[in-house]
Amino acid sequence: MRAFKFTPSSEPEAAVKAVKANSEAKFIAGGTNLIDLMKEGIEGPSELVDISRLNLTQIRSTSTGISIGSLAKNSDTANHPLVRRDFPMLTQAILSGATAQIRNMATNGGNIAQRTRCPYFYEVSVNCNKRRPGSGCSSLEGYNRNHSIFGFSDKCAAVNPSDMSVALAALDASVNVLGADGKTRVIKFNDFHRLPGDTPQRDNNLEHGELITSIEIPKSNFAPHSYYLKVGDRASHSFALVSVAAALELDGGKIKQARIAMGGVAPKPWRAYAAEKFLAGKTPSEENFSAAADSEMKAAIPLEHNGFKIELGKRAIVLALKRAAAGNA
Amino acid sequence: MARDTKVIGEAISRIDGLLKVTGGANYSTDFPVKNVAYGFIVKSSNAAASIKDIDTTAAEKSPGVIAVLTYKNAPKVAGSGNLSGGVILQEPKVDFYGQHVAVVVADTYEQARYAAELVKVNYEPLPAMVDFDAHKGEAVEPQRGRGSKRGDFDAAFVAAEHKVDQTYLTPVYHHQPLEPHSTIAVWEGSKLTLYNASQVVNGVQNAIAAVFGLKPADVHVVTPHVGGGFGSKGSAWPHVVLAAMAAKLVNRPVKLALTRQNMFNSVGLRQRNVQHVRLAASADGKLTAIGHDTTTHTAVTGEFIEQCGHLSSMMYDAPNASIGYRVLPMNVIIPTFTRAPGESTGSFATESAIDELAYELKMDPIEFRLKNFSMTDPSNGRPFSSRATAEALKKGAEMIGWTKRKMQPRSIRNGDFLIGYGVAIGSYPSRQVPSSTLVKLKRAGNDVTATIETAASDLGTGTYTIVAQTAAETLGLPMDKVEVKIGDSEFPPAAGSVGSIGAASFCNSVSETCIQAKNELQAKTGRTWVAPPTVAQLMEAANLNEYQTRVDARPSAEAQKYSSHAFNANFSEVWVNAYTGAVRVPRHVAVTGAGKIINAKTARSQIIGGCIWGIGMALTEASILDPRWGNFVTRTYNDYHIPANLDVGTIDVAFIPEDDRVVNRLGIKGVGEVGIVGVAASIANAAFNATGKRVRDLPLTPDKLL
Ligand SMILES: Cc1cc2nc3c(=O)[nH]c(=O)nc-3n(C[C@H](O)[C@H](O)[C@H](O)COP(=O)(O)OP(=O)(O)OC[C@H]3O[C@@H](n4cnc5c(N)ncnc54)[C@H](O)[C@@H]3O)c2cc1C
Repeated sequence: MRAFKFTPSSEPEAAVKAVKANSEAKFIAGGTNLIDLMKEGIEGPSELVDISRLNLTQIRSTSTGISIGSLAKNSDTANHPLVRRDFPMLTQAILSGATAQIRNMATNGGNIAQRTRCPYFYEVSVNCNKRRPGSGCSSLEGYNRNHSIFGFSDKCAAVNPSDMSVALAALDASVNVLGADGKTRVIKFNDFHRLPGDTPQRDNNLEHGELITSIEIPKSNFAPHSYYLKVGDRASHSFALVSVAAALELDGGKIKQARIAMGGVAPKPWRAYAAEKFLAGKTPSEENFSAAADSEMKAAIPLEHNGFKIELGKRAIVLALKRAAAGNA
Repeated sequence: MARDTKVIGEAISRIDGLLKVTGGANYSTDFPVKNVAYGFIVKSSNAAASIKDIDTTAAEKSPGVIAVLTYKNAPKVAGSGNLSGGVILQEPKVDFYGQHVAVVVADTYEQARYAAELVKVNYEPLPAMVDFDAHKGEAVEPQRGRGSKRGDFDAAFVAAEHKVDQTYLTPVYHHQPLEPHSTIAVWEGSKLTLYNASQVVNGVQNAIAAVFGLKPADVHVVTPHVGGGFGSKGSAWPHVVLAAMAAKLVNRPVKLALTRQNMFNSVGLRQRNVQHVRLAASADGKLTAIGHDTTTHTAVTGEFIEQCGHLSSMMYDAPNASIGYRVLPMNVIIPTFTRAPGESTGSFATESAIDELAYELKMDPIEFRLKNFSMTDPSNGRPFSSRATAEALKKGAEMIGWTKRKMQPRSIRNGDFLIGYGVAIGSYPSRQVPSSTLVKLKRAGNDVTATIETAASDLGTGTYTIVAQTAAETLGLPMDKVEVKIGDSEFPPAAGSVGSIGAASFCNSVSETCIQAKNELQAKTGRTWVAPPTVAQLMEAANLNEYQTRVDARPSAEAQKYSSHAFNANFSEVWVNAYTGAVRVPRHVAVTGAGKIINAKTARSQIIGGCIWGIGMALTEASILDPRWGNFVTRTYNDYHIPANLDVGTIDVAFIPEDDRVVNRLGIKGVGEVGIVGVAASIANAAFNATGKRVRDLPLTPDKLL
């Protein structure tokens, strides 16, 4: 690990200023992702600006929905009564990830900004366009069992590992950020993460020094009929092979609207727009769920080892929708 | 603690437990050593290469760095010491990805670790054999052929009415004990002290002595507490030598700890096995032929193979059998002993095939097994000293509720889940090996305390406790009057905690020593005693306040005339998500006949631990090698999936009482390995019963059951 300067901060503006002033500086929140990356020599910031003491931990209802502080812990967020009541799918998604100990340290901002778990990103002796832009991608012709089937490019096929982000994508959240100029801006959740294209080194659309201050989720009627399903190689403490956040608004035995997002299948949380569109106005039956899943998964492109994700994705969509429709009383 | 002295067999919590949970137990790197420097290993990023040069300039200039050890300045060694993984830094050559090529020594760990990134190795790559699946056809007869034959397998197989002819695959597994391997090396003149995590205290002592040309007595190994090993700490690995070399180079003690990532290519592995099993039976369910051919890999530098076919050779009494091995030397770290080497992986193949044949015969798999074993070991014609297979099958069937099982797959469904039941049996050889003990008795009035000294090791398994129990009961003292000192080569040489020999070897030795102490004391009193005297009475009558005696215990000659194994039966209830293919094991039953159980609690824990690793084998664990470079892409606990709590349902453990005085005087068979044997097959068989899908390629990840 490279030696670094440690800069505590107590005001968001000061933190932003400090990072902006040093092109090699980074924010550190819970540190559960960044410190690992530094120990492995993947990230080597010359300065860490500690934001863990910033007063950005509130979780409160607003006139339009709920606002979740970027520095609220993952555990506190998942277990907050408002979140449990209005967005139980977010609770499920957060609790499906990592371990209790890690969730007690991890923050919401850090969670959505966490980096990929592609093994070649972590193995510094081999090429990786995310780690060393332009060096080449080792996963496309390597062991890509847990890589993307949607949205990848010839530069990178890594998946975004965050479970929380999948639920936030389905719930149409937005991200509030504070910029270096002291101005705030709002990034719609689906514009927060990026597809790799020719610049896989950039995971999201934050500019250097921009600080996530909160995440907002708009009010909705999905709470009674939503479900987060995660399929992994072990029952807990593994990243998703495929996950599905499924939410239904039912009206008189018909689906008024559906929201579906997938994890483990793309470089960003993957909104299944085709499936959502298919379901609007239909009855919530297994046949319709299955047809919706097919409509989404037909666009998937498998790599050498991850073809199973197409079938698994279909089935996971069906099961998540089925459980959402059954309700989570 | 109980003042009772009848403690053998009781469920007694580990006497070192308090020390451990309060942080008082020193593991190897915990020892406070003055003026210690820190080593960090630089690993090869090539699977085969000659090293043209190593540039250490930048590393040497980095803050805190004292020296960089490479092939250029490493001392020449005196001998190989039969080090696992070969002697290193003797020549500019690399034989596998991750081989140690340099050690940076600095004042702090962080400085050493950072400077290790600055060492530049200039490789001349050589052709490397790293793709096992592509080249397994080139595997050759092992140098030490371990195959065996009886009867005429080919003729019997061709003639048979019912057969199974299938190939079973197991991936590379890693031990990954909780405590990574670590060493502190301290030289005082030509004497070397190693605080080193080891399963076999004297093994490391002798190996390192041979490497440096020292007398074993000049190498002092200290390892009072070991944080798990599973075989990977059974031998001396190169990093132990490197720590000692580095300490010599910088003239300071050096602490060298492997990182979790390092552990994947530093201390062995369980190799990938391709097992071709052919079974044949008559229509009435009598096995007529067993064929078991294993193709596997070893290192280019040395041969190690697991005896996957061993279980097939001795478990069932088919008249015709053919067991064979082929091995491919590869540029991958050498495999080593891994919990139940051979039996654990072999039983997956054998016991899956038995289940397949039972289906082919439309026979209940319990009935089929009962019909095909005998009380004589068919591989060598010797009688089993005892064998609890039938009792274990019967008891386990009751415990799991076998009557709920339907032969027809996919018969039981509950909501989104398909439910199935499976069974598999296993065994592991039981052996006692030479092991010495010193007992020291001290008396103050009527109060006698005993100190037991033996160079045994405790991997968290309970050695301290069973030694204390044995000594207490034999001497007639309460356990808190017995102090156990182990994990130090200054004590009399002992067996290692390997191959399930520990309990049998330690406890028989301790018991013999305590009996000898009493006998010698009695002789010294010159009296005959009507009622059996206490040790205190004996010492008083002999007018002694202190007494000590030592026994070098040996296995009996009688035991060699028999075949001795612990036998088990496993039963699993498996729920498979009909949508996602995810497999859960809400219940697993393990019934074991393992002779005398010294401590009901620690023995149960050993079996549970074995079952958990068996669940890992069945469902989650696999190390994946990238055939382009020979590196493991699974390189942390994040991607090498040992089972998490949620993967492990209820494990019910039962023992069949056995009184086997042939295996050894105390009748101990050992429980360290047998617990894992058969577990993966039991789960895979249950998954077949649940889904109708036979997976012959571990692990049963969701993709394989879609
Ligand atoms: C063993 C293990 C298992 C895990 N399993 C899962 C899993 O199954 N599912 C899952 O979703 N996650 C999993 N995780 C990841 C975990 O959720 C993340 O590590 C955690 O959420 C990161 O939060 P943090 O506060 O610790 O971030 P940090 O490590 O502090 O930061 C991560 C990144 O975010 C940036 N950052 C942090 N806060 C802000 C902010 N407010 N504004 C701008 N940038 C910011 C940092 O600069 C850094 O680049 C696992 C992690 C571990 C170690």
